[in-house]
Amino acid sequence: MRLYEFEGKKLFAQFGIPIPNGKLASTPDEVWEAVKEIGPAALKSQVLTGGRGKAGGVKLADGPNEARTLANDLFALKIKGFPVERLLIEPKLEIEKEFYLGVTIDRAAYKLVIIASGEGGVDIEETAEKSPEKIVRKSFAIDAPLYTFDALGIAKKMDVPHDQIKPAASIIQKLFKMFRAYDAKMVEINPLVLTTNGELIAADSRVSLDDDSLFRHHDLTEMGIEKRHEEGEMTPRERKADSDGIPYLDLDGNIGMFPGGAGFGIMGNDFIHHYGGEPANFMDSGGGPKPERIAKMLVLLDDNPKVKAIFGARFGGISRCDDFAKGVLIFLRDHGLSKPMVMRMTGNMWEEGVRIFEEAKKEDPKLMEKVEFHGIETPIEEISKRAVELANQNGGN
Amino acid sequence: MAILVDKNSKVIVQGITGGNGSYHTERMLNYGTNIVGGVTPGKGGQAVCEKPVFDTVEECVETTGADTSVIFLPARFVKEAAIEAIRAGIKFLVVVPEHIPIHDMLYVREEAVKYDATVVGSNTAGVITPGEANLGIIPDIAFTPGRVGTVSRSGSITYYVADTLTRSGYGETTCVGLGGDPVLGSTFAEILWKFEKDKKTKAVVMTGEIGGVYEENACETISKMKTPVLAMIGGIYAPPGKRMGHAGAIVEGKMGTAQEKLDALTAAGAHPCKTFTDIPKTLAALKV
Repeated sequence: MRLYEFEGKKLFAQFGIPIPNGKLASTPDEVWEAVKEIGPAALKSQVLTGGRGKAGGVKLADGPNEARTLANDLFALKIKGFPVERLLIEPKLEIEKEFYLGVTIDRAAYKLVIIASGEGGVDIEETAEKSPEKIVRKSFAIDAPLYTFDALGIAKKMDVPHDQIKPAASIIQKLFKMFRAYDAKMVEINPLVLTTNGELIAADSRVSLDDDSLFRHHDLTEMGIEKRHEEGEMTPRERKADSDGIPYLDLDGNIGMFPGGAGFGIMGNDFIHHYGGEPANFMDSGGGPKPERIAKMLVLLDDNPKVKAIFGARFGGISRCDDFAKGVLIFLRDHGLSKPMVMRMTGNMWEEGVRIFEEAKKEDPKLMEKVEFHGIETPIEEISKRAVELANQNGGN
Repeated sequence: MAILVDKNSKVIVQGITGGNGSYHTERMLNYGTNIVGGVTPGKGGQAVCEKPVFDTVEECVETTGADTSVIFLPARFVKEAAIEAIRAGIKFLVVVPEHIPIHDMLYVREEAVKYDATVVGSNTAGVITPGEANLGIIPDIAFTPGRVGTVSRSGSITYYVADTLTRSGYGETTCVGLGGDPVLGSTFAEILWKFEKDKKTKAVVMTGEIGGVYEENACETISKMKTPVLAMIGGIYAPPGKRMGHAGAIVEGKMGTAQEKLDALTAAGAHPCKTFTDIPKTLAALKV
């Protein structure tokens, strides 16, 4: 979960990392008030994406009237699909030098890694590529202490002026402590500014926490920091799926995908492409969904006018074929299928799944007319090919 | 022979009295897995499927001689349960639940390295040595004893690959689910090397996906292996920057695209496959 700059800075302050004395504003009038109080200020768009500066999301204003005019423009801005709803107003810093400081997880090495550089305010990945010698990296096991001498060593390699070594080391230790305390995936101060007054201050924050650890960080909720959707604007269908807790993405094609788990969701997308088709969506339909939820997933696909055929796959592991069969029947009875559908079902409880379908067919022979049903005897590639054929026959291409 | 688990492994289930725990204990037993007991704190003295339940892993190991554990517990309890198992002497641990906090898995990994234990998961379907033992939630319908090993991040892909190997007559030695969470107890490289040392495994199919660097980091190991490795990577057509399913499956910056992974693995000597049907074709060409 990515935090807004102002939220990250709240956490910084809590750990004693110096931050500018800023104010949050959500209307041009609030911006006017803030700048009147603060004086010459930076107006910084609060969005959950990088590249804000390049997109014109940060402006400098000398007085409140100028600030209000600039704020009008900023509030109309969309940065990579994220609308600007709030501005963080901070006193303009007199910059002597900018540094980079970050902590992240090296997943391959299973270590926490502190990354620091004497070149701040620029994209660290660019620095890493162009002048790797300007980057300091130091790895720590999750349960290892970060001693003061470690932090001092990093500060020295960052090329901070000698009288700033101890304050810099202290910031490094505080940031590392915060990283562990809040189960962070990444924390970044970029830039860490040395002002002309000789103060080190976190001018920006980038903080990403682990969604799966939020259950033990109730204080975040008290601070108004809650789980959020952070991938820009959702399509209406993505929003509907999201509100039902279904991981779903709209794609450009015409085959509605009910692929089973996420792993085959990713691979199945490739298979459809491989056979000349294009999926209309990605969906994670695994993880043991109950029949009602399966029906909802199928409705989502059937209601999409772009969908010309539906691909269904259930290889039951934790997900059960009997639940799948029940879900398909709820969908067919309550909603109805308006497109051709091909599906394959095998794995956990497949015998019971087949029995449920057979019984339903006896009751109502027409119910499953548009469904081509396969079991383990048909390879999944054949199902993928068939879905492409069906979409094409149904006016896809 | 097989890797990680066979018919002689003494298996316990942590969380054996829970809904998932008891359901899958019965399934695993029906397959012939040598389950010797289970652990649920506070429920020591009870029995599930006629197997004794203990309060702690230590007691369970002392009484049963267990060396392997499968965890079926809510995510928040996994870190302690895993560390408890490793310290009690469990050498192979399967972490089935998903959404384990990343920092917790880092702690588990540190502990596993200290005690020379192997952990797979979190968010794994499990590990199966066909005909001998089935750990986790794997449906056994697609599996048959044979000569090809598999290692995958995804449960469903494990099933599909085994289905293909079974159908084409190769069968499987052991199938390993590494797990779909962002930080995993074992790497592709570590599991591949175990297959390399297994005499019965004549080839290995590894299937990865977009995101992370676990696949790329297997290159060095693959280049040292005599056993042929077939590689398949999901997500060639995945839109960049979008999260597709698994928490770990997102292309971060310039890292972890499917094509890059496949190219790197191919350069290291792996044989790339596009669909499951390419697998038996490739195995035949390699005279496996």
